[in-house]
Amino acid sequence: MGDRKQARDGEFQRFVIGRWPRLMRTAFLLTGEQHAAEDLVQSTLEQVYVAWRRVGSADDPEAYVRRVMINAHARKHRRKLREFLAPKDDSGIVREIADTGDRIAQAEDRNALLKALAQLPARQREAVVLRYWEDLTETQTAEAMGCSVGAVKSNAAKGIAKLRAIPGLAGMATQGGRK
Amino acid sequence: MSADRETNQNMTNTDITLLLADAADEVEIGIAPYQAVMRGGRRRRARRWAVAAATALVLAGSSATLAVAGLPGGDGNRGASVATRPPTATPGVLLPQDRSLLAVGTDQGREWQVSVDVWPAPRDESQARASLNAMERYGETPVDIDTPAELVGKIAYFVTRGVGGTLFAPTSQNVVTEADALSGKDIEAVAVPLEPGSDGPQRLVVGHVAKTALQVTCIWKDGTTTEVHRARSSDVNSDEFVIRSPEGSPFDWFVCLAPEGTEYASAKVTG
Repeated sequence: MGDRKQARDGEFQRFVIGRWPRLMRTAFLLTGEQHAAEDLVQSTLEQVYVAWRRVGSADDPEAYVRRVMINAHARKHRRKLREFLAPKDDSGIVREIADTGDRIAQAEDRNALLKALAQLPARQREAVVLRYWEDLTETQTAEAMGCSVGAVKSNAAKGIAKLRAIPGLAGMATQGGRK
Repeated sequence: MSADRETNQNMTNTDITLLLADAADEVEIGIAPYQAVMRGGRRRRARRWAVAAATALVLAGSSATLAVAGLPGGDGNRGASVATRPPTATPGVLLPQDRSLLAVGTDQGREWQVSVDVWPAPRDESQARASLNAMERYGETPVDIDTPAELVGKIAYFVTRGVGGTLFAPTSQNVVTEADALSGKDIEAVAVPLEPGSDGPQRLVVGHVAKTALQVTCIWKDGTTTEVHRARSSDVNSDEFVIRSPEGSPFDWFVCLAPEGTEYASAKVTG
C-alpha cells in the first residue's frame, strides 16, 4: 500500500517536473503575467494530484491537465476576479530585458502580442492559445474548453482576426516571430 | 498605415504560432515547486468530499469490525441497536461530542440514519497524538494526516450512515479549521447511493452550508425538489430533513434523500 503510494507520488513528481515548463508557457499566454501563470499552473497541478491515481493511468493525462487549467482560467473570469491581463499598463507584463536595441525591439513586440492577447475575451484567448500555441486539433481544443467544435472555430477565428487587426503585430509578422 | 494593414492581411496562422512561441518564451520557468504542489494537493484532497476514496481508505486502514455494528445514539427508539463506545481513557484527549444525528428516515421499509462525529481541534502535538489514537479506536482514521503535528488546530469530522441496522464505514471525512466556515449561499454537497457500495442511484445528499443559511433546496433529476429548513429545537430527532448545527463544526449540515426513481441533480441555498 505504502509502496504503491510512493510509486504514484514518484510518478506524479516526474510528471510535474517534466511538464512544468510547457504548462508555464501556456499559462503565461493565458494570463499574461508571471505570478498569475505560476498560480494557475500550481493550482492546476494540485487538482491533478488529487485525481492522479486515475489521471496517471489514463491514456492521455495531458488532456486532463489542459481541461483543468482551462476550467481554472475560465472560472476566474466567471467570478470576475482581478484579471492580470487587463490592459491597464505595461507593468508586470514583460520583465526587464537587457538593453540592447534588438532586445528592446523584441520586448516591445512581445509586449504588443501579450497586450493584444489581453484584449481578447477569455474564450477567444483560450481558443487561440490552445489551437496555435498548444497546436491542438479543433476537437482536442473543444474537449479542453468543454465546448463544441463549432464554438472553438468561432472563438479561434474571431481571436485571430482581432490579433491581425492590431497594427503593432504587423512588424512581428513580417519576421515570423523572432525566435 | 496601409502598409501595416497589408502586412496584417498577409499574416498567416503560422505567424501567429511563431509569435505565440516567442511570447511564451518570455516567461521565467523556474524550478517546478513540486513540494508546494504536493502540499496544496493534499490540502485539496482533504477538503473535498472524497466519498468513495475515503471510504475505501478507511476500510483498508481499519479493522473489518467497522463494517458491521449497531447504530449509535440519536433516535434510539427506531429499532436500531446502540453501539457502545470503546473506552477512551487517554488523558488529555478531546473527544467528539455525542455523535450528532444529521438525518433519519425510512426507505422501502428500512430505517436509515446519517450522523457525524466532530472531533475538537487538538491544541498541541501530544493532544493530537491522543486524539488520533482515540479516533482509531472509534474506527475513524483521518486520511491525509500523516503525523500528529498535522492535526494540531484542526477539527476532524466523520460522517457515517447506517441502513437497516448496519453501520457502515464513514461516508466522508475531512479535517478543517474554523477558517473553513462557509458564508452566504456557499454550499458543498455530495450525493451517494443510500446503500454504501451499491451502484444504485445517488439519492442521499449530505452537505454543508453557512451557519446563517435558513433553507436549502435539493433538486432532483426528475425536476422535483425537496426543501430543507433550519432545525428548531423540537426537531432534534425529527425524521424531517432539517439544517443542523453539530457542536464544534465550523459549518452547518443538511441531508436529504431523493424520492425513489430519481436522483440528485443539484442543491442550493434558497433562504
